[in-house]
Amino acid sequence: MSRFKMTGEELRHAAWWIIPALIVGILLSLLIPRPEIGVIQLSDAIDSTTAEALITQITYARQDPNIHAVVLIINSPGGTVVDSEAIYIELARLRATKPVVTWVSGLDASGAYYLSSGTDYIVAVPSSEVGNVGVIAYLPAAPMILEDVISTGPYKLWGSPRDTTMREVEMIKQGFFQAVTLGRGNRLKIGPDVLSRGQIWPASTAYQYGLVDQLGSETEAYDEAASLAHLWHYKMTDLYVASGLSQSTSVVGFFQQTNDGSKSPYPSQAGIYMLYIPALPSPEK
Amino acid sequence: MNRKIILIALAVFVLPLVLRLIWFFPGFYPPHTIATPDYANLKLPEAPISTPESNQIKQVGGVVILDNAHGNQFQPSEIQTLVDALGQRGARVELNSDSSKLESQLKYASAYLIFSPYYKYTPSEVQIIQNFIGRGGRMAVFTDPTRGLVIYDPLGNPIDNIPDTIEVNPLLEPFGITVNSDYLYDLAENEGNFRNVYFESFGKSDLTWGLKKVVFYGTHSLETDSGLTLLSGDDKTFSSETDATPNDDPKQGWAGAALDKTGNVLAVGDFTFLTPPYNTVGDNAVFISNIADFLLGGTLKYTLADFPYLFTGTSVDILPTSNVQMTANLIGAISKFQSSYKAINTEINIVQDSTSARNLIVLGTFAQADDLSKYVKPFNVTLNDANNYIELPGFGQLGKTGNSVLLFSSGDNGNTLVLLADTEDDLVTLMSNLSSDDLSKCVLQGAVGVCSIGSSGSFSTNTPTPEGTPTGATPTGAIPTPTVTPSH
Repeated sequence: MSRFKMTGEELRHAAWWIIPALIVGILLSLLIPRPEIGVIQLSDAIDSTTAEALITQITYARQDPNIHAVVLIINSPGGTVVDSEAIYIELARLRATKPVVTWVSGLDASGAYYLSSGTDYIVAVPSSEVGNVGVIAYLPAAPMILEDVISTGPYKLWGSPRDTTMREVEMIKQGFFQAVTLGRGNRLKIGPDVLSRGQIWPASTAYQYGLVDQLGSETEAYDEAASLAHLWHYKMTDLYVASGLSQSTSVVGFFQQTNDGSKSPYPSQAGIYMLYIPALPSPEK
Repeated sequence: MNRKIILIALAVFVLPLVLRLIWFFPGFYPPHTIATPDYANLKLPEAPISTPESNQIKQVGGVVILDNAHGNQFQPSEIQTLVDALGQRGARVELNSDSSKLESQLKYASAYLIFSPYYKYTPSEVQIIQNFIGRGGRMAVFTDPTRGLVIYDPLGNPIDNIPDTIEVNPLLEPFGITVNSDYLYDLAENEGNFRNVYFESFGKSDLTWGLKKVVFYGTHSLETDSGLTLLSGDDKTFSSETDATPNDDPKQGWAGAALDKTGNVLAVGDFTFLTPPYNTVGDNAVFISNIADFLLGGTLKYTLADFPYLFTGTSVDILPTSNVQMTANLIGAISKFQSSYKAINTEINIVQDSTSARNLIVLGTFAQADDLSKYVKPFNVTLNDANNYIELPGFGQLGKTGNSVLLFSSGDNGNTLVLLADTEDDLVTLMSNLSSDDLSKCVLQGAVGVCSIGSSGSFSTNTPTPEGTPTGATPTGAIPTPTVTPSH
């Protein structure tokens, strides 16, 4: 016991060392920033505008050491194939170092689900709609020649034979299936025979099929992201603002519009899409 | 002592940092590799290799009437391969754009071809078509789920589809075939797209000869109780109406084509397979070839009322029997005959014997001749040089002078028309009248006809003639034995 007995002088001497060390330690610890969970929103169709904005935010999240996880909030019918794939690949790069959780707030269809399937965990509001896995395309016109247009080959003007476009759609679908299979892994409870039907399901059914992991709220998605990133205390950061995006990224001109401004679910341009087109009201018979 | 203090100082220095880190981070997210699709090795699905069709094409000739009077939803280029296949067989395709001409066109047709009609077939048209099928004509009805009447919204987007089956089913119903307003799909094994389905199970028919794999590019399913299912899908081929196999029985496959029980009515759920490049996928070319053979392969029963369309094929031989002298007038008459038949794409040749003849027109007089007797004997016609009449069953005693006789018979190898008159000059007159398609002075009774070609002809029998029997018409019911006084 006598070994730990200190005189007053010795105590003062020790305090002179320890208290400043503690103060410095506390001060330095305050410099350790509260970890952040980045929030990215996709609330429109996927086209070049939304893709650019999303990729900017994903890249920011990947490069910012204080962003430890990302929650992707989705309410989208999907969109173009190239833009969906571009975002998907960026998400894969982000996931290599930081977990990404999807929260489905309304619609997670086609190309949007392509992105979701590439995240670590999917939480969905029970009544939201999920699925519509597949590809659609408008076939190009049959090759023809025009009096006032000169081209250098039969498909210079039209891109490819109609038959090739059909097969390209099937090839893209295979990539989509691979993405879903890889992303969902053992959690997927349905086979390609069901998945390839292109059906859209209520999230509760999608949950039973293993297309989503949990039915829940936005905060539960944050909790799951924190859990995956091993965070106890965190704050949310809107990556749209943090990444410096300021201009509106709302999609303009992607969908057809009537003269009175109402929007059609059909895209305004021919092409290949991962897009959910809900049925329009049928005329009275 | 100093060492201890320094260690404690270090500990209290690090403690807040550690506590803060633990407060935030109970653990660390380990970096790992994320697997993504193998984009580099995704390949365009390829169509199955095409099977070459047989080079043995028979020149059977004939005319196929193509329905163009019911708002038919097709482009000529889409069916060109079938038209070409028919052309290779010496046949030609003739459009029917006016329903009022259908009956006359079907008189000389081998087959009637329908693609995705939109307008209703009238009861009289249905009757004409049924009569045509009833006498051995053939009909092929092609539908396609992409050829309904699509209703678009103001932006031009499809919002509804009235299927092409609506007008087809009343036509096919008497033949025991129904086309469903669905489309077939196969998510497991398909030709580049779920709606492009394989058929690898076939009903036994000439139409399915040589087939191992047929591909349809969007097809309705068909059902037949009494007929034959020609193409059947497998247990993964589903109907869009039920998302299942027929009756949800995996042992049953949906039909893509069916043949009625008479073997004369073909219904097909798709016609995109006729269009390049799909016509050469799998055994589609063979199937198209078989369809062309089917359309021209009917055994039509002709009657004299169908004159001049009494012959299938593209050629008819004329055989003058030994009691006929080839006078200049007769040659002229044959020439006129030749021109008339040429107008309906039939070639006329004079032959010395009938051994190789498929279709034959026999020229003779009422004088007895050995080479003539074999043609008149089946009709129980009695020629006797001693009498001034001939015995003609159904007509009784027919005066030789001013009368001529037409005898028609159908055979497996061709049809035979016997033209008899009292003299060569009468024969010339008869042929001239026939060349002008003038049967107005003829009484036709099934396979036998009598034509007045002069002013003094008569025939009599013990049975009175029903009054008002129109000349040139075919009485129905039991054959009467009329007495006709030729008109002038």
